[in-house]
Amino acid sequence: MCCASLVKWARLKSPWVLHFNSGACNACDIEVVALLTPRYDVERFGILLEPSPRHADVLLTTGVVTRQCADRLKRIYEQMPEPKFVVAIGACACSGGVFEGNYNVLGGVDKVIPVDVYVPGCPPKPEAIIDGIVKLLNSAREAKLDDKR
Amino acid sequence: MSLNLEFVFRVLVFPGFAFVLLFTMICDWVERKIEARMQNRIGPTYTGPAGILQPFADFVKLLTKEDIVPLDTKNFVFRFAPILSFSIFVFAFLFLPIDGANVILNSSFEGDLIFVLTLVSVANFFLFLSGWSSTNPYSAIGATRVLTQFLGYDIPLFILALAPAFLAHNLSISAIAVNQRFPFALLIPWAFVLFIITLQAELEKDPFDVPHAETEIVGGYETEYTGRRLAFLKLAKDVQIILGAAIAVELFLSGPYGPVFFGLPVFWYTLWFILKLLMVIVITEYLTCVFARLRIDQVLVANWKVLLPLSILSLVATIAIGLWLNPVVG
Amino acid sequence: MTSVEKKILMLLSDRLGEKILQIQTPQLGKVFVRVNAGVLRDALRVLFEENESAGISAITGVDLGKSIELMYHVRTHGTIITVRTEVPKEDAGIESITDLIPGANFHEREVADLFGVTFDGHPTQRRLVLPDSWPRNLFPLRKDAVIASIPNKLENAAVSDEDMQPSEGRTLIKVVMGPQHPALIEPEKFSLRVDGEIVKEVEPRIGYVHRGIEKAAENRTYLQDIYLVERICGICNACHAACFCQTVEAIMGISVPPRARYLRTVILELNRIHSHMLLLGHAGLEIGYETLFQYMWRDREPVMDIVEWLTGNRVIASFITIGGVRRDLKEEMIPKIKAELTNLKEKMSFYKHLFDSDPTLKMRTKNVGVLSKQDALKLCVVGPVARGSGVNMDVRKDEPYAAYDEIPFNMVTYNEGDSWARLMVRLAEIGESINIINYALDNLPSGPYRVRVPRIVPAGEAFGRVEAPRGELFYYVKSNGTAYPERVKVRTPTFANILSFVRIAEGGNVADVPASFVSLDPCFSCTDR
Repeated sequence: MCCASLVKWARLKSPWVLHFNSGACNACDIEVVALLTPRYDVERFGILLEPSPRHADVLLTTGVVTRQCADRLKRIYEQMPEPKFVVAIGACACSGGVFEGNYNVLGGVDKVIPVDVYVPGCPPKPEAIIDGIVKLLNSAREAKLDDKR
Repeated sequence: MSLNLEFVFRVLVFPGFAFVLLFTMICDWVERKIEARMQNRIGPTYTGPAGILQPFADFVKLLTKEDIVPLDTKNFVFRFAPILSFSIFVFAFLFLPIDGANVILNSSFEGDLIFVLTLVSVANFFLFLSGWSSTNPYSAIGATRVLTQFLGYDIPLFILALAPAFLAHNLSISAIAVNQRFPFALLIPWAFVLFIITLQAELEKDPFDVPHAETEIVGGYETEYTGRRLAFLKLAKDVQIILGAAIAVELFLSGPYGPVFFGLPVFWYTLWFILKLLMVIVITEYLTCVFARLRIDQVLVANWKVLLPLSILSLVATIAIGLWLNPVVG
Repeated sequence: MTSVEKKILMLLSDRLGEKILQIQTPQLGKVFVRVNAGVLRDALRVLFEENESAGISAITGVDLGKSIELMYHVRTHGTIITVRTEVPKEDAGIESITDLIPGANFHEREVADLFGVTFDGHPTQRRLVLPDSWPRNLFPLRKDAVIASIPNKLENAAVSDEDMQPSEGRTLIKVVMGPQHPALIEPEKFSLRVDGEIVKEVEPRIGYVHRGIEKAAENRTYLQDIYLVERICGICNACHAACFCQTVEAIMGISVPPRARYLRTVILELNRIHSHMLLLGHAGLEIGYETLFQYMWRDREPVMDIVEWLTGNRVIASFITIGGVRRDLKEEMIPKIKAELTNLKEKMSFYKHLFDSDPTLKMRTKNVGVLSKQDALKLCVVGPVARGSGVNMDVRKDEPYAAYDEIPFNMVTYNEGDSWARLMVRLAEIGESINIINYALDNLPSGPYRVRVPRIVPAGEAFGRVEAPRGELFYYVKSNGTAYPERVKVRTPTFANILSFVRIAEGGNVADVPASFVSLDPCFSCTDR
């Protein structure tokens, strides 16, 4: 019992993120990268930006899904080990944004992979992104994390 | 029977396995905090008081992640290289005096300096194998970079380690540590400085960070690892860092020996050891933060054309100093 | 028409005589020369021989119904001369000009992809911006393209060997960078063939961020298009908005009030500062210098604050509109802005010292990724990439827009052509931008900040150029008198610079590839649109 709560505590205190841009205009991406910089410093929460999908727990995706990126996005999601979460950042990742309906655009991220948290904005401020991640961790704390294996 | 219990306690708890693990995690936290402060940030804060439990949380989380073994890998090596590497690094700790004596009492022998350095090389080789067996191009490049860099710094490391051995007239680490009435870092400062630089290369920290060049080769040799094996791979890296720092402390900073107040030498020796180790860690982490990463060919030039001749020269200078201090009679 | 343009026109008339069908000036002071398709190469050859620094700025295609019009915008002597021709739709083909000027390579490939024009003699027929599995005979930018017929299946993005020429028996390892790679914030694929650690061949594959913006712009009103083109690239969003609005204002024949011109200058320079600082920090990350990255981005935050005070949003400004700017600058904000900029200026001297003296930084950037001046001109590169190789090119000086004709500043060039030079150009430009903003704030004219413009844009065409942080940004807009534009063409600076990637990577070290790429400041969302 205490082992399970130890595991849950560890998972909530050490969410490693992977950032993937599947067709964004860069505005959301630079706000995500700004999270690591001194003003926002998400390493305080134990969040580290990992380079490889195999090391990450949370996938931060930005941008619409273009036709060419759709398969990549799916493969990256499959390469991540369980338990894993997806945060769609920005209006484009949530629903397609201003590009909805264009010929090379499939839509928001949830057309390809399941999304846990939507953070709207164009781009959302870094504070909003942190808020989204904190909400993710809170909801993960309440849900049964252990069952996800 | 009581001797056996003490043996078990020393190996498993203090100053053995548990102490090494605990101290590894604390040093990891120290490094992350220093790096954060140097970069004008705060670093881990909310996991335990001042974030000190962060490495522990990372480790536990990694242990419980899904275990993925890619189909194409060479299974046996892929599965066991991380844990072997980790075990060998921890094993090397048994030969370093931490609380005034080796972990296994009376286990030091003439030449255990060479033995420990060889163990470090073997463990590094297992890190290489872990990348090589992943059959991922990024892992392969990272693994070959580990080996290339290793070939460059290993010889200067051995030569520089011989300098204090010469001054102490002994090739056993505990004997070298005990025989330093005066820390060798002050007596032969050039060897200490060069040793720290070579240590940067051995620990794969900036400017010799090439095997971990995230932006070029993704995760390097760690790319395909997940879950438990990744946890042990990262732990192996951390143990290597404090092992390297501990060797530097033993050889150049008179190990755990220092003034003892009001009796209880075990406590004071451990305290001095920890303080000196932290000092070396702070120095290496500081150097990491202020340098960029060199390219692999620049690293090779630095190793073969600069470090190697300088280390030979420093050995010669040390021999000269040694003979001057203790002239050979007859 | 300036005297330079008159001179060039006389030269063309001498050489081509009656082959010139028509000389038009649909836009005030800009020359369009209409010729037959067969005469195109001769006309262009005259222009390129007259000035060895001339280059192709863009190649625009427009669907005219029965034929496709091709416009070759040639940049020469600081201005743009356009040579236009038409090819029939059923048999859309024309001779390629890549042998005359290698920099036209990607422009032709893009028109081939989107309009279906075949360029005879072009070195490659591979796709550029559209996915590989896009139907072969469907060209999105043609007016009669039926897009709904494309199934929504997932693209098969397995790394196929078709994207590189066969290696003919040489033992070269193929390394693919991207689309997901920590070095690239954005997804693009670079296939490298390496021999040990030396790169032998590079093949870029772009189009991963292609969102079909040019087509979408035709289905939205002009005002909606401003918000669309801003999101081509979040980093240089004000430049896109400015260029689009300038072009539409040129079609309408209106000029914005002086206060608006100065305010536009302020937001454009703020864009430049934050973009250059972003890049310098990113360069630090690429060469393993994390501390530089953290410091630079820490110092960049006040700039984002200033943009937020001015426009209400940190990144995408939505500040510029047709006829002026959308909101005014309050007087009490000016001292706050100037105080922040003074702090920034002091920090810049620290970074200059760092770049001049740090040994490991110089080891990674000096003599790395060298682009000679000859190559820079032949490949028609723009922006700091060109200025770092000694080419004097800056739209703010060549054809001043906004308030740049009234504000004194220096153009920064370095001659070394290596990564270090390109980074130093950007560092120095930050200082210049701070001076420009200070001057603009000190001399801000009073008066209205926008003029009311009619909803319907009269029929006409125009092009506009803006010096974005990455180089010359080129827009062409054609209006047919309705509420929707007929054609919006965007040629972004990184699109013009991609060929230089190939040139500087080949022959160098694999380890230098991320460092050289980042010094070119690629922005692939701009490139793909």
